[in-house]
This record gives sequence, C-alpha cells and structure tokens, in this order.
Amino acid sequence: MAGDHRRCDDLFVAVEKAVAEGAWVRAVTGFSQFRDSMLRHFAAEESLLFPAFEERTGMYMGPTQVMRGEHVQLRQLIASAEEALRAGDAEAYSGDAETLLIMMQQHNMKEENVLYPMCDQHLDDQGAVLLPGLRDAVHDLEPAG
Amino acid sequence: MQALLSFDQAPPFAAPFRFFVTAPVFAILAGVLLLSSGPELFASRWTPGALALTHLLTAGFMMQAMLGAMVQILPVVAGAHVVRPLRVATIVHAAMTAGTLLLVAAFLSYTPLFFGLAAGCLGLGATVYIGATAHALYRVPSTTPTIGGLKLAMLGLGVTVGLGLVLAISLGGSFPMPLLQLANIHLTWGVVAWGSVLLAAVAYVVVPMFQLTPAYPDWFGRAYSVAALTSVALWTAADLAGWELASGLLSGLVVLVAAVFFYVTLKIQRKSKRAGFDATQRYWRMAMFSALAASVLWLVARSVPQIGEWHGWPLLLGVLLLVGGFMSVIVGMLYKIVPFLVWMHLQNLGRGRLMAPNMKKVLSERQMVRQMTAHFAAFALLVLAVFWPEWLVYPAGVAMIAANTWLLYNLLSAAGVYRHHLKKIEALLVAST
Repeated sequence: MAGDHRRCDDLFVAVEKAVAEGAWVRAVTGFSQFRDSMLRHFAAEESLLFPAFEERTGMYMGPTQVMRGEHVQLRQLIASAEEALRAGDAEAYSGDAETLLIMMQQHNMKEENVLYPMCDQHLDDQGAVLLPGLRDAVHDLEPAG
Repeated sequence: MQALLSFDQAPPFAAPFRFFVTAPVFAILAGVLLLSSGPELFASRWTPGALALTHLLTAGFMMQAMLGAMVQILPVVAGAHVVRPLRVATIVHAAMTAGTLLLVAAFLSYTPLFFGLAAGCLGLGATVYIGATAHALYRVPSTTPTIGGLKLAMLGLGVTVGLGLVLAISLGGSFPMPLLQLANIHLTWGVVAWGSVLLAAVAYVVVPMFQLTPAYPDWFGRAYSVAALTSVALWTAADLAGWELASGLLSGLVVLVAAVFFYVTLKIQRKSKRAGFDATQRYWRMAMFSALAASVLWLVARSVPQIGEWHGWPLLLGVLLLVGGFMSVIVGMLYKIVPFLVWMHLQNLGRGRLMAPNMKKVLSERQMVRQMTAHFAAFALLVLAVFWPEWLVYPAGVAMIAANTWLLYNLLSAAGVYRHHLKKIEALLVAST
C-alpha cells in the first residue's frame, strides 16, 4: 500500500510538469489517471483494509475513522483541483495542488507510520486473504501497473 | 494506546501560531539592536551587543519557531501527542519569551539579577517543554530516523539550555568558571546537537515529500543524529579534559559530520521532480549553501592560523549559520506550515459545507517571494557588515527590520484569512440551524 502511495506521487508530478509546460490536454489526462488511482486506493482501504482492522481490534472510532475523514477532504480537494484544471486556471490549480500535495503527504505519513504497522501487527494471519484483494482493488484498471 | 486513539486531534491553531508570530518579533528586535549598537557590535563575538544579538536570533527566533513546529509535527510524524497542548504551549511560550528578553537585557546591562531571572524563566520553559515532549515520545518506538532524531534533538536542547543556565548563573553570581570554554561547548551543542539534529530529523520527511526528491540515503538516516551527538559529546569530553590534540581533531569531526548533512541535502534537492522552485525550496537551498559555506570556512580557518586570528571570523560564521542557514530554512518551512494549518483547520470547521481557501489563497507565492528577497538582502548586508561595519551595520539593521516586519505581516495576513473565513462558517452554521 505504501508503494501505491509513491505511484500516486509520480502521477501528481506528471500533471504538475504538464501544467508548467502549458500542456493542458496532457495535464487533464494525467490528472484523470491520478484521480482514478487515488480513488481506487481510498476504496481499497475503506472496503477491505479498514473493516478488517476494525473487526479485529474493536477500534471502530479510532485511526480508521480519522483516515476516512481525511479521505473525504482529499476527495474534495481533488474535485476542486480538477475543476480549476478544466477551466485552465493555472493559479487556482497550483494553490489546490499544493494543498492537495501536503494533505496527501501528511495523510500518507500517518498511515505508513501508524496505521499500516498496526495493521501488519493485528492482521498478520490474514495477509494471504487480504493482500490479493487489496492488490486487485488498487490496480483494477491496469493489470500491468 | 492513548496516543493512537487520539490520532488526529491536531493541536488548536493557537498552540503553534503564537510561537510563529513571536519569532519575527525577536528578529525585528535584533535589527533594532544593530541600529542602536552601531559598528561596535562587530568588534568581537564577545561584545555585549554580539551576545545579545546571537541570543535574539537563537533563543528568540530559532527556538520559538522550532518549538511551535514541534507541537504540530509530533502527532503527524511520530503519532505522539502532547497532553493538553494549549496549556503546555502557553506556559512554554510565556517562559521562553520572557526568559529571552531578560537574557538580552542581562547581556546589555550586565545586571546579575536579570541573568538569574532569565535562567529561571528559560529553565522553566525548557523543563516543561522537554518533559511534555519526552512524555509524548516515551512509548513511541524509534522506528524511523525521524523519531530517533527527534529524541536525540531533545537531549541536545536539554544540554544546550543546561549549559546556558550554568553560564547565566555564573555570570550573574560571578562564580569562577571557564566561561569562554563553556560558551563554546554551549554553542556547539546548540547548533549541532540540537539545531542540526532536529533539522535533519524533519528534513528526512519534508525534503523528499514536499520537494519530491529521492529519499535521503539509508546510511545517512541511520547514522546522522547518532554521529552528530557522539562527536559533539566526545569533543566536549576531550575539551574539558584539556586534551588539545584530541579536542582539535574531534572539533574538525563535528564540523565534517554537519557538513555531510548540508551537502547530502543539496545533492538530493538537485533531483527534485517538482516543476519549479517555490519560495520554500529556494529558502532551503540558500540555507544549505550558507551552512555548507560556514563549515568549509571553519575548516579553512582552522588550517590557516593567520586567517583564523581575524576577529571577524566567528562573526562571519555566525551570520552564515544563523541568518543564512537556520533563519532561512525556518522561514521557508513556516511558508508551508502556516498556510496548510489555516486550510486544515478551516476545512475541518467548515464540515464540508464551505470549502476552505487553498494554501496559495491564504498566502500567495508572490507575497512569500518578495519577503524572501528582503531576507536575502538583509543576509547579504550582514555578511558584508562583518567586513565593513562602519558603513554597513545600519543598512543591515534596517534590512533586518524590514524583512522580518514583512514576515510578521505575511503570517498575520494568513491569520486574517483564517478569522475572516471563520466568520463565514459561523454565519453559515447559524443560518442553517
């Protein structure tokens, strides 16, 4: 899952580069890819990983709830950035993108430093069942990725 | 477990923000001090003016900003929560602010009472801060170089303040102490064991993530904080024991270790994948260049005694390290932290019904770049003022005041956006109930 975070970073960079070069069409296409990857990642966590964690630990209002809240905010930022991009508004996009980048990075940091290690610890025996599902959910549109 | 359950309880905006706006006020006072002391301040690093100026920038600017940032960063990077963050922030901020002002007054007036009071306030602030942070970090295993680095930096801060207290008390009470030697040890712990270790701990996270560079090399993450602290500790022991040769070699090692950090950071920053350099990245690069230059110059001065004897030498290194290095990197980071915090709090308060203004609407890139230009001008003038104090100390003081008033203005205008938007949210919530 941490590897998927890095893949999303790379997609984000590709869009930023396209915007800087004024290549709007490429930027919009790139952003769609980025958006899809992010949404798939959230969906995989919310439908598979978090419920498994909550069931095992009994912590329903703990870290997973907070992560769900941040996913909501990230979805809003992604929508806002996409709107700016489609309108060709470089300034509004760069502000949204900057905010999105930091929100995304600090969110990833919490997951990677706190939540994923807890999942590894509590869900160790379920790896064989959970991992293929997560992998498919994250990559479902691009089996080669 | 408590820390994990309260996972996202970000401290209220007021907890870190009070530190952030106090920092530039100390730098403005440093500018005023330059104007009122005039060229005499640059006669030696031991003049009352030079000592007061140094502490306005270190105990004032650097420490305020770093304490504020830590309140915010601990939960995110380490999952560690300070208990009652607002109360801790209030006590630490008041004690550190009062203590620094008293210390500066003590240097300038040489009043024993002020030294004693300053030691009391700074000692109280550091104890509460280190106690609260150590309590939060106690159960967090050092799984990343950042968490390990933060813990060691805490130790560095403790020793720095502890030695500072010994110095202040002996100055106040005129106890027979090897003051010059202790002052060198105090400043090395402050700059290397606290400042650089803390900065490196934060850099492992923020440089790759926000500037989208490759990660720091593994060996660096594993070794830096331990190597920095160990070399400083060994040098301290050798210096206090009076082993001149060992102390000379070990001090060289301390500087080399720090220089590796500056060099590695510059190297990975060159590989940033971001489309263009923003104010934060330029501030970071200037800081690393300036600190690396200070390290190289120090090594040159050590090997060529004729140069090393020049009285301006320590002042030049101080300007390069503190103004070009630490101040630059701190302002650069504030320009990410403050707009992000404003956005995050507003977004949470708006509960999805009202979108918060994005970071660049909170503080525009143009505002940041202009202030950065003023800071770099102040830095350049200060460097030149070391060589030609009669001519340049006044322009340097004016530039310092201007750059930091501007910084204060930028931070307050971000807070203005916060207040303005908060009113909109409140109106909306009232209307909908």
